[in-house]
Amino acid sequence: MRDPLKIEQSSRTPAVDFDYANNHLKISGESYPEDVTEFYRPVFKALDDYLGALGEGGCRFDFALIYLNSSSAKAVMMLMDKLEAAAANGATVDVYWFYDKEDDTMQEIGEEFGEDLENATFHLEKMVD
Amino acid sequence: MLAGQLLDLRSKLHNHGVIFAYSGYVTEPVLSGVGEALKQKLTIDDADTKTLRSVFAIFVEQMQNIIRYSAESVGQELPAPTEEGALMEMRYGILTIGREEDDYVVCAGNLVRKEDVGRLKERLERIRNMSKEDLKVLYKEQLRADPEQGSKGAGLGLMEIARRASMPIEFDFADIDGDHVFFALKATI
Repeated sequence: MRDPLKIEQSSRTPAVDFDYANNHLKISGESYPEDVTEFYRPVFKALDDYLGALGEGGCRFDFALIYLNSSSAKAVMMLMDKLEAAAANGATVDVYWFYDKEDDTMQEIGEEFGEDLENATFHLEKMVD
Repeated sequence: MLAGQLLDLRSKLHNHGVIFAYSGYVTEPVLSGVGEALKQKLTIDDADTKTLRSVFAIFVEQMQNIIRYSAESVGQELPAPTEEGALMEMRYGILTIGREEDDYVVCAGNLVRKEDVGRLKERLERIRNMSKEDLKVLYKEQLRADPEQGSKGAGLGLMEIARRASMPIEFDFADIDGDHVFFALKATI
């Protein structure tokens, strides 16, 4: 079993918690890193490795972002694409997008990402305080 | 003398409705620091969550637009901010946040190259005249179209600003010299 990927939240970067043992992956907080590419590189790598070994297994990915800037939106799209590709290859993938009920822009952004998922199941939910 | 000058500057800003201002080199550490201060300021103002996030989001995109635009000059020796030459640097920007009645306004200004003005203007005109729905479609297209992370002038930042704003964005240009134009952008939330 690979080691879980855990990145602590900072003021400009989200917390990342890939709990492989429970097939539950999560990214939460705010995302406007100084260097988007550098921050997301290990996250992409970890997700690629995990999904590559998942086969027809199941996993859940939670996005619980308070705020993301436009370059992070691109990174989120790439994460979504990877999840969708795994689902297209036979995995059972549930993607959850949690939004702050007081910020409908984040709800709208979630909806837009959700529209692109055909094989992965998309869930749009309010954050619980 | 000193108090008079500062007081004068303070009144000028206040008369323009400015409640928060930054003028100087725009860098990522500046964005971090000013961003934190801005968040606290908005919390004190008791702005509602959506307004707070939108003002902040627009602030981030405006600062990053300046940083990205001037990215190629990074590494070069910059004149000290006190020198006159500093004002001719594209990374020397001004950002203000103010109130106009019940709205928040975020303004940003920096130098751009004259040869880039046409393209920038065209892009801004297009975005300004778009409905929220069309903006949403274009935003998604652009997200998919441009694989380069944070490439210069990806346009995504400007679209994010327009989406978060509650009124059409405003912009203006002022000639500086043969090579440079001062670009000003205003978003109302």
